[in-house]
Amino acid sequence: MTRQELDQALARLGLDVPVKERDEVVAVLPLLHQMLDRLRPPGGRDVAAEPAHVVKFPEG
Amino acid sequence: MVPDFLTIAEAAKLIQQRELSPVELVDSRLARIEKLDGKLHSFIRVLADTARAEARAAESEIAAGKYRGPLHGVPIGLKDIYETGGVATTGHSKVMQDHVPKADAFSVKKLREAGAVVMGKLATHEFALGGPSFDLPWPPARNPWDTTRFTGGSSSGTGASVAAGLVLGGTGSDTGGSIRGPSAFCGLAGIKPTYGIVSRMGILPLAFSLDHAGPMAWTAEDCAIMLQAMAAHDPADPGSADRPIPDYRAALKGDVKGLRIGLVRHFHERDNEVNAATRNAIDAAAKKLAELGCSVRDVTLSPLPEWSACGMTIMLCEAYSIHEANLRRRFTDFGENFRDRMVLGGLVSGADYVQALRRRRELVAEFDRTMQSVDVLMTASAPSEAPPIDQVPKFALFERPSLTIAFNVTGSPAMSVCCGYTEAGLPLSFQIVGKRFDDATVLRLAHAYEQATPWRGRRPNLQ
Repeated sequence: MTRQELDQALARLGLDVPVKERDEVVAVLPLLHQMLDRLRPPGGRDVAAEPAHVVKFPEG
Repeated sequence: MVPDFLTIAEAAKLIQQRELSPVELVDSRLARIEKLDGKLHSFIRVLADTARAEARAAESEIAAGKYRGPLHGVPIGLKDIYETGGVATTGHSKVMQDHVPKADAFSVKKLREAGAVVMGKLATHEFALGGPSFDLPWPPARNPWDTTRFTGGSSSGTGASVAAGLVLGGTGSDTGGSIRGPSAFCGLAGIKPTYGIVSRMGILPLAFSLDHAGPMAWTAEDCAIMLQAMAAHDPADPGSADRPIPDYRAALKGDVKGLRIGLVRHFHERDNEVNAATRNAIDAAAKKLAELGCSVRDVTLSPLPEWSACGMTIMLCEAYSIHEANLRRRFTDFGENFRDRMVLGGLVSGADYVQALRRRRELVAEFDRTMQSVDVLMTASAPSEAPPIDQVPKFALFERPSLTIAFNVTGSPAMSVCCGYTEAGLPLSFQIVGKRFDDATVLRLAHAYEQATPWRGRRPNLQ
């Protein structure tokens, strides 16, 4: 994500982020995207795989 | 004269035997707060008058033969995300500095029913996430072992106040490590109980499906005493478990011989490599546990970054959803650390969140399979001793995978235990993780380790 794309995303979110902080956020975005990439296994999941709704864990 | 340091169990014994007055104990802690907290900043608000009144009431009840148990007349502190009726609960934030709840959080009510005396509201990272910060209405708490050092977070004031002997125990919350981190850096015992054991009703949330509430104290026994009071089913918390609560303190007396410990060595030796002092202390702790009759063997889980990515994505999204409206309206009223971390939450998509939930299901299943062959896991709770407080990067959570959030993902009981000190005298720690709802085994193993080692005999020098 470029700085210009970040500015557009923040405008969509309605967040008034100071300029200096925008630069810091842009710098850390590669780490965020690296983290998000880990959630998707190579080759993807079975489309029928059920999302986990784990507000309450199975007991025992 | 009341000693500078007492455990809850020690104080309880003296109070029950009428050798120590709750009033005397509370007065001694208030004097200690007055003397030391100017440099520790562990309290946001000291409740001296009400604490004295509660101590007098406890003394009268005990004199009348109505002793309630080991928390009766014992001074504790509350992380300032635990709501207190008629007393401001701020989340250490300008955004909520005037928030005065009408009622106590469910767990606060339970602690009061057990007779605990509430000494005040304790510092936290802003809304249990943004810290250490120097741009909030109150300064960050300082580590009593060295006030230039970080307490860990987010239950920073609880870590500092218990380590300094200003209170005998305190409450924390843990969404990604916020009980275990400050317990590690401040040398405490701190347990994140199984998800559902302690109600979150009346506790300011960070991330609904990862938030856990629990105790922090000097020993595992003290944690057992506090958890006994805090744990209860609460229909008002949809995540609350409706099941019998065991006698945690009685369970401490059981044998640890034969317990099967899985050492997740790759978490702290490869995935997030700890420093030499921490690694040596964990190796020595594993050896000590083997001497106590436990079997210790290495086990392998998915790499730590997998757990961290899952937990962090869920945490960022759920936290953003909670603070979205205020972030839009009054962005700069939040501290810089909190608001900029939250910006990342706004940039995570709905698809990312659902992928994290799917990954969570896979990781929980993997964890449960591993736990079929062991009773507990063991790994690091922090990568090193406490770093300097001014050298904690804003986005540290993205630079190295968390050693603790894996067990928020699984909802398992997880505890930080002190296992020594650096040459400079800073605490080192390790983490014990149990099966869900087997908090008693985690506490029992921690207690056995504490009894077999000298570490609980050392306290910070604050003179």
